[in-house]
Amino acid sequence: MCRKNIYLAWFALHFFLITAISIRELFSLIADGLTIIPSHTDGAWSQAEKITSVIAGQSLAPSDPARKTLVGYMHAAGIEGAFGFFAPNVPESYKLVFEFRYPDGRVEEDLPDVQSHAAGLRLGSLLDRIGRSNSEQFRRVLIWMLTSGAWNRHPDAVSARAVFGTLKLPDLDQFERGLKPSYEFLYAYEFTARVTFPDSTEQ
Amino acid sequence: MRVPGRLLNWLFSPESDHWLSILRIGFAFQLVLYCVSLWTDWNQLLASTGGAFVSRDLTEAIVSLESPLIPRLGWFVAVGKTIGLGEPMVVNFVWYCLFVAGILLAIGLFCRPIAGAAWLLHLAAVKSGNLATYGVDNFVTIGLFYLMLSPLPDRLALDFWWRHRKSRDRRWLGFFRRVLQVHLCLIYFFGGLTKVLGRGWWDGTNLWRALTRPPFDIISADVLVRFKCVFPIAGIGICLLEIGYPFFVWHRRVRRPWLAAILLMHIGIGVAMGMYLFASVMIVLNLAAFGPGILWHHRQPADDGGPFSGSTVCSPNN
Repeated sequence: MCRKNIYLAWFALHFFLITAISIRELFSLIADGLTIIPSHTDGAWSQAEKITSVIAGQSLAPSDPARKTLVGYMHAAGIEGAFGFFAPNVPESYKLVFEFRYPDGRVEEDLPDVQSHAAGLRLGSLLDRIGRSNSEQFRRVLIWMLTSGAWNRHPDAVSARAVFGTLKLPDLDQFERGLKPSYEFLYAYEFTARVTFPDSTEQ
Repeated sequence: MRVPGRLLNWLFSPESDHWLSILRIGFAFQLVLYCVSLWTDWNQLLASTGGAFVSRDLTEAIVSLESPLIPRLGWFVAVGKTIGLGEPMVVNFVWYCLFVAGILLAIGLFCRPIAGAAWLLHLAAVKSGNLATYGVDNFVTIGLFYLMLSPLPDRLALDFWWRHRKSRDRRWLGFFRRVLQVHLCLIYFFGGLTKVLGRGWWDGTNLWRALTRPPFDIISADVLVRFKCVFPIAGIGICLLEIGYPFFVWHRRVRRPWLAAILLMHIGIGVAMGMYLFASVMIVLNLAAFGPGILWHHRQPADDGGPFSGSTVCSPNN
């Protein structure tokens, strides 16, 4: 009976966390105006998101051992995030292009290199994370790392420029009218040596 | 009967281990596919230096800020260092261990410890490459987590025949099947609800965008545009399938077509978007959770006895 009660308690906690996290994510999407529900209801959705965050233990201090244990458990069980793939809408697609300059003035273009389709999906996920991030420093560090990786294939290059942009895809009507996908510039990062931190230009 | 009593009976209803066989064998192949699909890029995804996408050290630092309890490859690299193994060797060793774990799980040898090891190693690899993960990794973690906790071995495992290990009381088989079923219901319900709230799922825009967006643009847009009238119907259909899943998958009359439609949807995602791993993990989860008894009838094994009588009776072999 004791074992049964332990399993029941685990069941209740486990699904409580899954539900709380899913509801919090839903409120967050509504509060950010990403759904068809009006987001400007006196910050009610943001308030609701905060309440669900408290319920899910997300309002505890980051250093709190209880929070660390809870977060550790959620990651271990694969329930740390909500399950809304391509929802409520399909996000933008991002692209990263490198321009490597050689001592003789020649410029070679390159792309992040993967060997397999599976790794290509992961690269796409990484570019999405870079594109969605609000932190300039985070973006800069990640693009710097990706550029360093690509630089190994251009060992004689003296400088590099990483151009990060979004791929504008035509909708159905635009496609029928002959509109092609276009690449819209977002950020560019200049590298003068592999070890230096890049300066960025932003549109 | 009181509601809590009915709930308890529902949660702990005796169950055969057919679903567990599907989960074990399905996730074994999932692990092997995961390893094979990333073989050429494994080091690039998980190295701390030297041509990695993103330094593993950075990813692990971010992960450990969230919680130091989250498993990561850095733990194994640190252990490797103490016995003189370099980082690339440890990272490659983890790949081999995961691959072998997949094979052992498939044949059902040392099921329980191997399921635990597979969960730990896979989770560590996923968290160490956390910035380049997508949905499939979460679902594999979920599946391996439940597999590790479930009362292994099942009847098709080598452990059962060769080592004479037997599963415990069938109530625990029933309980963990319920856990998997409830989890899938929540996944689809919230996934569907979030889609319903997006304008693009009502007019087919999102489906068009999903199918033409790199790296999912397997089918040419010139081909897709011929089926433009299907997009709004398919978009609404996906929303209804997902949001209706927790209600209709239990309904005697519609559960079979509903489950079949969900499986077809995942096959479609796999073929049309090149998300083979994602499609296969969802198919395995659905087949394990609801397949036995819905898609095909399953007979309870003779020595599993009839309905549960009361107390927990452990097999002498466990």
